Amino acid sequence: MDFLGNCPQYIANGLANGCIYILVAMGFNIVFNSTGIINFAQGEFCMFGGLLAYTLAASLGLPLPLAIPLALASTAIIGAAMERLLVYPLRRAGALVAIIATIGASIFFKSLGRVLWPKEAYKVPEFTAGNISLPGATVSRQFLWVFGLTILSVTAVYLFFNHTKAGKAMRACSVNRFAASLVGINVMRMSLYSFVLAAALGGLAGLINAPYASYSMGLFLGVKGFTSAVVGGLGNTFGAVTGGIVLGLLEELIPGFLTVVLGVSTGYKDAVAAILLIAVLLLRPQGILGRGVVEKV
Amino acid sequence: MIASNGGSGKKRGGSYGSPPRRPDWMGMLRRNALLLGFTVFIMVMPAWAVPLSKPLSIPIILTMRLVGVYAIVAVGLNLLMGYAGQVSLGQGAFFGIGAYTSALLTTKVGFPVWLGIPCAILVAMLFGVLLAPVLRLKGHYLAMATLAMGIVVFVFLREMTWLTGGNDGVRNIPHLSVPFLEITSTRGEFYYVWIVAIIVLALCSRLVDSRVGRAMRALHQSEVAAEAMGVPVSAVKKRVFILSAALGGLAGGLFAHLQRFIDPNQFSILLSISLVTMVVIGGMESVWGSVFGAGLITFLPKLVEALPRWLGEVPDWLERYSNYEGMILGVIIMLTMVFMPSGITKGMVDLVRWRRSSFVNPFRRKAVD
Repeated sequence: MDFLGNCPQYIANGLANGCIYILVAMGFNIVFNSTGIINFAQGEFCMFGGLLAYTLAASLGLPLPLAIPLALASTAIIGAAMERLLVYPLRRAGALVAIIATIGASIFFKSLGRVLWPKEAYKVPEFTAGNISLPGATVSRQFLWVFGLTILSVTAVYLFFNHTKAGKAMRACSVNRFAASLVGINVMRMSLYSFVLAAALGGLAGLINAPYASYSMGLFLGVKGFTSAVVGGLGNTFGAVTGGIVLGLLEELIPGFLTVVLGVSTGYKDAVAAILLIAVLLLRPQGILGRGVVEKV
Repeated sequence: MIASNGGSGKKRGGSYGSPPRRPDWMGMLRRNALLLGFTVFIMVMPAWAVPLSKPLSIPIILTMRLVGVYAIVAVGLNLLMGYAGQVSLGQGAFFGIGAYTSALLTTKVGFPVWLGIPCAILVAMLFGVLLAPVLRLKGHYLAMATLAMGIVVFVFLREMTWLTGGNDGVRNIPHLSVPFLEITSTRGEFYYVWIVAIIVLALCSRLVDSRVGRAMRALHQSEVAAEAMGVPVSAVKKRVFILSAALGGLAGGLFAHLQRFIDPNQFSILLSISLVTMVVIGGMESVWGSVFGAGLITFLPKLVEALPRWLGEVPDWLERYSNYEGMILGVIIMLTMVFMPSGITKGMVDLVRWRRSSFVNPFRRKAVD
């Protein structure tokens, strides 16, 4: 099999994975903008989304149009609980404390997931089963849902931040939290909203990331989502879109190239995001779309 | 590096021709009371721990060997994270590199173990030098970059099957040894590991009180202020990073010869995260806190495993304890961060001081800012 012949398939898969990364990356961005924290438990929201959808739809037998909003709402409640119980008490703490606290939350969530859903993998029902044949590639129908829902979410987030009062208030927090509080914005409430939104987006990512969900999916999704956010420029919605697609495509094309042309194992795929993350952080820390300098003292 | 810097602060007065003062033995004893007390505690430990192991159904000495190994790497991480304020979520990478270096050199090349472990330190330091540019980053960015570093090393250990054997790991790694003597008994391994660990602890507790230690704490508070006071900020950060990599390599080398079987999954991100947990729970900016943290995290699973055997009756939910371990750990980390951000040992010490003087409040203190 030749590499160029496989390219359409790699691109299709890459775009589909990229959409998932976009949703996770937007979650990182929203929380970072309104609280200044990188939420290391963001990947675990995806795990809850996927596994709750499994429980509601496959185990309890609820119809999908009911199960999916319920799963998203439950994930959002978990996000809200995390904000109130952990992030709110730490609102004046330094970066290191916040990092370690969210890592603690991520360990806790992952272990909770393992207790509640102990099997290695659960099959999350697809919205519509079956495959579509395109010239040079075969994609499952689920991919159309992934594309559609991602475009919808990005648009909704964009409209929320630019055309609603709460969204504008959250953007004000990202510019300067203290100044935002001076003009009467309830910064702590914005922090709560941001966690709810980020958890729901993460839950959506985990739930459409069919066909399988497991308790251990959080870490890698989290790292990949963060990589996408950084590649595009942390805090920037369209940056997340660019970063997600770039990462999704690179992650298919580079290992594809290495395997087909050089005959290397496909296992290196897991390292692509990590290497890209280090490279971008060192060479262009403001991201591909970022303007200005992040921090220089 | 450690010895010369530790010594340079002590030279005052020597060159002015004043008569050499008599060594102050009592003062030295008092200053090193903790170190000496701990050394005595470790040396007599087998005497009471071996008879106790059976009734408690915890293999105390067997577990303590690993505590020693983790204490070495946790102290290194604490220098980097607690003292110099540079988060590393990839310390497991150096541990893994050290373990694989020594394991491969002794099994494939035929090096003796006492030569394999120094090589492990050297290779880990080399990787430390190569990866030191990540120290240009700060805060969250540094945390994520070091996490990525850990993932890359883990993936390469898993995939470079021609060298590392991939998921099959390296088997039949020889026992620890000193020249002409192989150490095979559990008690011998215990002493071997802890003598190394106590030397490391002694050097590190000297280091943190030296000029370099003060420089580390200064740059932790404010890099600009430290730079203005003449601290070469990036050079100090780099040196601490390489030192912590070296300690990681040393611990990894010891680990490989204790376990005698290693595979990449032992050095995944989970290891790095539990190392961070040891440092955080034990206490940032506290050499002895890391030892406590290492002990707590290593003994916690053994303790709860043994619990049903004490009770006789096994409740159903306790049987699969390993599942709950992460939940307990997560809760401990979160509570520590919210209520005692400077760590349990340091928080407790502050609590005692708070009873005496109202100026120190452990609950109000910001550990890091």
